[in-house]
Amino acid sequence: MQHKLSDAGDALIIAFSGDIDLQTSPDARKALLALVGKGKPILVDLSGVGYIDSSGVASLVECLQSAKKSGQKLALVSVSDGALRVLQLARLDRVFVICATIDDGVTAVSQ
Amino acid sequence: MAETHMTHVEIPGGAQLGVVPAATHSHLELLADMGRDFASNQDLEATLRRAVERITNYVDAEAGALFMLSPCGLKLQCDACIGPVEIGGLQIAADQGIVGFCVQRDTGRIVRDVANDPDFNASVDNETGFRTRSILCAPMSVKGEKIGAIELINKRGGDGLFDDNDLHLLQALSFSAALAVLNARMAAELVEQERVKRELELAAEIQRSLLPAQKESDFPVKGVNLPARVVSGDFYDFYPLNDGRVAFTLGDVSGKGMNAALMMAKSASLLRCLGKSIKEPGRLLTLVNEEICETATRGMFVTLVHGVYDPESGHVRLANAGHEPPLVVDREGNFRAIEAEAPPLGISPALLDEDGFPETEFNLDGGRLFVFTDGVTEGYTADGVELGIDGLKAMISEAAPGGVQGILDRVRASIGGEGRTLRDDVTLLAIDDGTAVHTNSVPKGAAEPGATDAPGEKIFQLRVTAKANRLRLIRNAVRETASFCGFSETDTADIVLAVDEACQNVIRHAYGSEGEGDIAIEIRHRPDAMILTLRDFADPVDISKIKPRDLDDLRPGGLGTHLISEVMDEVDFLPPPIDGGNLLRLVKKIRS
Repeated sequence: MQHKLSDAGDALIIAFSGDIDLQTSPDARKALLALVGKGKPILVDLSGVGYIDSSGVASLVECLQSAKKSGQKLALVSVSDGALRVLQLARLDRVFVICATIDDGVTAVSQ
Repeated sequence: MAETHMTHVEIPGGAQLGVVPAATHSHLELLADMGRDFASNQDLEATLRRAVERITNYVDAEAGALFMLSPCGLKLQCDACIGPVEIGGLQIAADQGIVGFCVQRDTGRIVRDVANDPDFNASVDNETGFRTRSILCAPMSVKGEKIGAIELINKRGGDGLFDDNDLHLLQALSFSAALAVLNARMAAELVEQERVKRELELAAEIQRSLLPAQKESDFPVKGVNLPARVVSGDFYDFYPLNDGRVAFTLGDVSGKGMNAALMMAKSASLLRCLGKSIKEPGRLLTLVNEEICETATRGMFVTLVHGVYDPESGHVRLANAGHEPPLVVDREGNFRAIEAEAPPLGISPALLDEDGFPETEFNLDGGRLFVFTDGVTEGYTADGVELGIDGLKAMISEAAPGGVQGILDRVRASIGGEGRTLRDDVTLLAIDDGTAVHTNSVPKGAAEPGATDAPGEKIFQLRVTAKANRLRLIRNAVRETASFCGFSETDTADIVLAVDEACQNVIRHAYGSEGEGDIAIEIRHRPDAMILTLRDFADPVDISKIKPRDLDDLRPGGLGTHLISEVMDEVDFLPPPIDGGNLLRLVKKIRS
């Protein structure tokens, strides 16, 4: 699992690639929580994530809750089919704001 | 033959014929002749016809007829007749005419002129054109049992009138004929009884053949069955399975007699046939119950214990359908009863939840298991006292040094001793784990998919250290295997997720930290499903505490179990193996 950070001006983007599983989710969690408190909305790009497990989903939920507390918006963008399936199974697809593209995500978190 | 019924003469077997002086000699000769004929001839109908012919000729009558009373007693039918008019087969009401009069009153009668007799029935004459003038009639009866009558019509010679001599002779003959008919009927009944008895014995023979043949003396399972009647409603069976375990069954069909015996034959056959491929007792009983419910006679049911014993480990897995609780005796001689947790077979297929008949598992650990019918505990001992459960326990303890065969012999001698009448069928099955050498502590079958009919073909097996960095390896292997089994991309991804989550639970919850032990994964493939078993070697996990996450609660973690149950068709924690650890079985159905 790898991640790449970028700043789109109106939002911080963190793009993950590879598998987020028990082995890699601690790193993913650390990277996600690092964005909390940075002021800008957070976009999590999951287009390159082939596999995410419950520990990865839990990291996303934890980050969402922390971001809310610090007044930051968070959206998931370009979610791969595999990751979307797991979010649906966990009934979390309505908890997260999920956008098809980064641009949609920027629009969503800017409102 | 009551005297009041005999208006003209009394014939107790013809012994008083001597009081009739005239023509005694030739009368006796005729009667003796006919008596011999009756005694020696198998064809009663022909003999009777001959007798009517001879008496008609002897008395010199124009016609003669023999009427038999129908079994219901309402009709008289002409079974033999001699004379110018054929009336064979003619039926009249049982009280009609002179014949009816004689039969009903059990008396003989001479009618010299029918025109003056109100009892005479002219309808036959009117139909046939025959003219009846005089009648001689005698009833056929034995000890008041009405059989029919013989009637002679129109005396030819002399004054054309029948006399007392004629009547005496006809009465004697009728009595002999009645005896012959009665004897023939009794003989036929005896033949029928003998046939039924023979059939019952054949049924018993077939039943005995359904019981297992005694194995070599060191075979750990033994049984005894003593039927209270010729056939039995009890049965027991045991047979080796192809994995070295031994399946055993003991059942008791409600009721006794032939219907119970037939039900027993059906139940025993079903269990033996299906039990060789379905090695999970609860599953097997569910299937047999459905079958019996579908076809059983109303009100009949079977209480039954079926189980599987592994001589290599001492492990027993059994299901009890409403039967007397089997007794386990441990090596120290302590007793424990295995209570029934389900209703008998044949009551209803709907009484059970979808998991079927509950199973009990335990390890005999050198002890013994006794399964028996209530014919044992309710049987009378030699002192006329009911054996009872305590009596049985005492017997098991006392005869323990003689091995289970010694115990079975003791029970047999106590309840079913020589010349004793059994109250009920007595059946007892015993498993002796004391003689077994346990070479394997892992119970067989426990790792098999329990809720499925066949284990399927093993297509994948992997044992790795329970570490997070092995999960990717496991996922890839499972993905390939699921794909090989023909699952769609979505289903494959789901299966991979479930196995991954299950492995995580092992790492995080069973072992508590990484690298503490191994995870073993086995995948079996059936045409209709893929069955995964996951085993760890950690301390047993309290299954009741593992619950799918409450979806209203959004805290991270605890989600894995929910995901597993969401994507798999069956998720079962199997009973823990004897040597520790946990077993989880996941089933995913293949949708065509």
